[in-house]
Amino acid sequence: MNSSVPPWRATASAPTSTPVAFQPSATPAYIPVQARRSLPTHKTTYPPSTGSSSTQPTMPPVAEAPRPRMEFPPAVRLYVQRCFAPENQVASVSHPEMQEKLRQVITDAAENNKLHIIDWERLALPQVMIQNERNRVLANPNVSNWGMSGQTPSPSDASRKRKSTESSQQQQSGQDSPPWKKANNRNRFEDRVTHPSTGKKSRMTLDDSSKSKANLEMRRKRFEGAGVSYGTSGTSSPVDSPSSRSVDQDQGPVVGRCQTLEKNYFRLTSAPNPDTVRPLPVLQKALDLLKKKWKQEGNYTYICDQFKSLRQDLTVQHIRNEFTVVVYEIHARIALEKGDLGEYNQCQTQLRVLYQQKLGGHPTEFKAYRILYFIYTRNWTAMNDALADVTAEDKKTSAVKHALDVRSALALGNYHRFFQLYLDTPNMGAYLMDMFVDRERLTALASICRAYKPDVNIRFITEELGFESDEQTARFILDHSAEDTLEEKNGTVRLLTGKAGSLFEQAKAEAHRVVDIKGQI
Amino acid sequence: MQLANEFRDAYSIASGPDLAAVLTPIATSNDPDRLRSFYQYTNIQYLTKDLQSNLFHGKNLKVPKAEQSAWVDIFAAYWEAVGEVLKCEGQHPGASATAIFTAWKKVANALIKGYAGSNGLPAWTLPCLYTVGKFLRTFAIKADLEVAAQGSSGFGFQDDLAVDVEKNANLEEAARIINRMFTLCLSDRAPIEESRKWGIYETTNLLFKTYFKINSVGLTKNLLRAINAQSHELPPLDAFPKSHVVTFEYYLGVIHFLDEHYTQAEEHLTTAWRMCHRDAYKNRELILTYLIPCHLVTTHTLPSNQLLAPFPRLEQLFRPLSNCIRKGDLVGFDQAMSAGEAEFVKRRIYLPLERGRDIALRNLFRKVFIAGGFEEPKDGQPPIRRTRVPVAEFAAALRIGTHATSRTRVDIDEVECLLANLIYKGLMKGYIARERGMVVLSKNNTAFPGTGV
Repeated sequence: MNSSVPPWRATASAPTSTPVAFQPSATPAYIPVQARRSLPTHKTTYPPSTGSSSTQPTMPPVAEAPRPRMEFPPAVRLYVQRCFAPENQVASVSHPEMQEKLRQVITDAAENNKLHIIDWERLALPQVMIQNERNRVLANPNVSNWGMSGQTPSPSDASRKRKSTESSQQQQSGQDSPPWKKANNRNRFEDRVTHPSTGKKSRMTLDDSSKSKANLEMRRKRFEGAGVSYGTSGTSSPVDSPSSRSVDQDQGPVVGRCQTLEKNYFRLTSAPNPDTVRPLPVLQKALDLLKKKWKQEGNYTYICDQFKSLRQDLTVQHIRNEFTVVVYEIHARIALEKGDLGEYNQCQTQLRVLYQQKLGGHPTEFKAYRILYFIYTRNWTAMNDALADVTAEDKKTSAVKHALDVRSALALGNYHRFFQLYLDTPNMGAYLMDMFVDRERLTALASICRAYKPDVNIRFITEELGFESDEQTARFILDHSAEDTLEEKNGTVRLLTGKAGSLFEQAKAEAHRVVDIKGQI
Repeated sequence: MQLANEFRDAYSIASGPDLAAVLTPIATSNDPDRLRSFYQYTNIQYLTKDLQSNLFHGKNLKVPKAEQSAWVDIFAAYWEAVGEVLKCEGQHPGASATAIFTAWKKVANALIKGYAGSNGLPAWTLPCLYTVGKFLRTFAIKADLEVAAQGSSGFGFQDDLAVDVEKNANLEEAARIINRMFTLCLSDRAPIEESRKWGIYETTNLLFKTYFKINSVGLTKNLLRAINAQSHELPPLDAFPKSHVVTFEYYLGVIHFLDEHYTQAEEHLTTAWRMCHRDAYKNRELILTYLIPCHLVTTHTLPSNQLLAPFPRLEQLFRPLSNCIRKGDLVGFDQAMSAGEAEFVKRRIYLPLERGRDIALRNLFRKVFIAGGFEEPKDGQPPIRRTRVPVAEFAAALRIGTHATSRTRVDIDEVECLLANLIYKGLMKGYIARERGMVVLSKNNTAFPGTGV
């Protein structure tokens, strides 16, 4: 204790070097100190306040924005205050523009008696609204076409299981002599593996300077956050150092210049290069092309890769509008059809965020999928969250109602109801239900074997458990139990419940092991 | 400097709680001006010097050098944080919840640093850690709210938008710092009498609370694993302060509860319930919120009036449902479930409560059985109940209370399915003879186990 270096300083990193949970073990213990640097220094030397200073410099504009004489709820006042807060100003939106928009928002709300309904705390600020509108209008003149393109397939579809809309939809108008034909044969799975040498192969890759030291540094920074991200989304963001975040914000969105329709997915390791990013109009054409290709070729590896690059281009340009929703919805549907639950789950997570911003799309369809998905993964915590997300309004739609009924039927062990619902699944939910229908058949068979004596007609099982034929039922039973559980009697095949009971019990336990989130295809 | 006096008083009697009170960033009713007077006592230039001379001079305090400089660092950070708090209270320009959080992080880091090494702060000062951790969490939540209100536009290099991740950015950071506090306690190798291991459950509780808030309940498992790995070096749970243990058991119970492990959940929640202080009304209410659904699932028992009487909120939550279950009123049960759904879902008790329908169904079918009466008495034998009941009678019971128009036809297959379920779950004993449309129930008062018939 009398050495010049205080002992607790000298060994400061020792006790924290035991890596528990999500602390990145390689970094020293003092990450948060870094965060401090980004603060303007004048803050720390702020003079002590004099007691009487009750001036509120943000207040004056409040009076001029909304009309006078109105009684506004406190939430609205706070909202207005936030609009004028210096840290919320957006360079590209001038003050008068913002005020005009603000006035409009508030008068609209007041005239429609929505002052107390609108969630002012969450409502986007007028400057943000203006920005979004600009994005939408400037980059996407034919935005209205997109609202329709993802429509749910008509229920008159012949087969019980739907194909994704995209493949059943009418071919989009002619895009002949496609420039992508030449590139097409290269867009295979191997291209998605990003080892250094393949980088040059693609026209799209970033120039070689990306290997430079600065980029490596950026990359390192980006990964610093990786060990500490929460939740299931698995995305790593540089959240733990505000400094790096503010850098990103300063850069603002990229504006792409690339005119090529197709682009291989390539995980970013540095700031995106505008030359390889496609602007919205190009992306829209690209989507048309992809839909056509999916219908014609059905090459999932290729399609998935293309959609990932599409999503990436949207993200780096901060495009968040109806088109974004359409892209994610289509990708989600295609992934569902192919049983690629990993990719589907990514889209689902993003869609949830997008729907919260009310950008259109088909929120109830996907809320329903989400519930079915959590039934499959048996993730009760997430299911609780999903249930909390469902509004009374949602429950009126057939898809959400169906998914909720499925869940409740399973929770109560009502297999009768469950299989009725299975045979009548809206949209593409059947693809999800197929994932767990066999598991539930085993559960039901375990119950049936315990309850019925001495045997049951296999016909009954076919009907109760949604099999297509007695043969299919018999095959299923034999696959999961033993040969001597079926017996022919008076011209009917019967399941000997006493014998089969314990076998199905085993099979059920096997099938109900918790499902891990599936890897991507 | 009043604060320095308090510090020296607390230090001289080695009182952790008193010391923690000094580090509390709020004014007290006794001393409403406490923060301001401390803040105005000095300024940034003289901060260290003033702290050095005030904290340790005067009384005959013997504080080792290393410790002294640790406290000076801590209080210097504290001074800055207090400045931010005051700014917010006075609604100064530039004041923000985020700034408070940033400043408070420095307090936490200085404190954590103070414990490091062999000459670190003594274990009796641990309550400081709890207090600083507690406020770290509070300030982080406020900062997150502030950020959310301003709207964010940061994307980073992700492929996707993932706005969700940012929502709790500050609280997540707080969690990481509290996690270091946790490690600090767990990994202390000092002899147990003066070990920081005594702080392990309290820091764990704080982390649990934080993880619940950021919806990362899964992370609690890591902590439990870490504690289990060290369990042979930890004193037995009952040696810890009751307040630590109650909270810990409560969270353990809820964690199991959310995983649908109701038996374990019940065990831990019951321990918490027994140990919980009689006057800790809010805590008792919280424990019961989960314990009652647990009981329903594991033992099929309903809460008594006496139990619910002191808790009007719980009474409201569970009473209608329990009544319907008791009476076997399925229609009423479904109505009560949907009436309470929003609240049940919010508290994460919807799923177990839903299982109460089985009990309601059992009670209804039991009535069918009883209504069936007795077989013809055979010479002098005690009467036996009719144990062969047509499925149609159960179907009739299910039709009670439904509108003639909506469900005139109850599907016999579905009735059988419900019966099969009850039999499978052991709520009913017997079997279905499908070809004859009969349910053959067990004799000798075991048809509905545990209910006397």
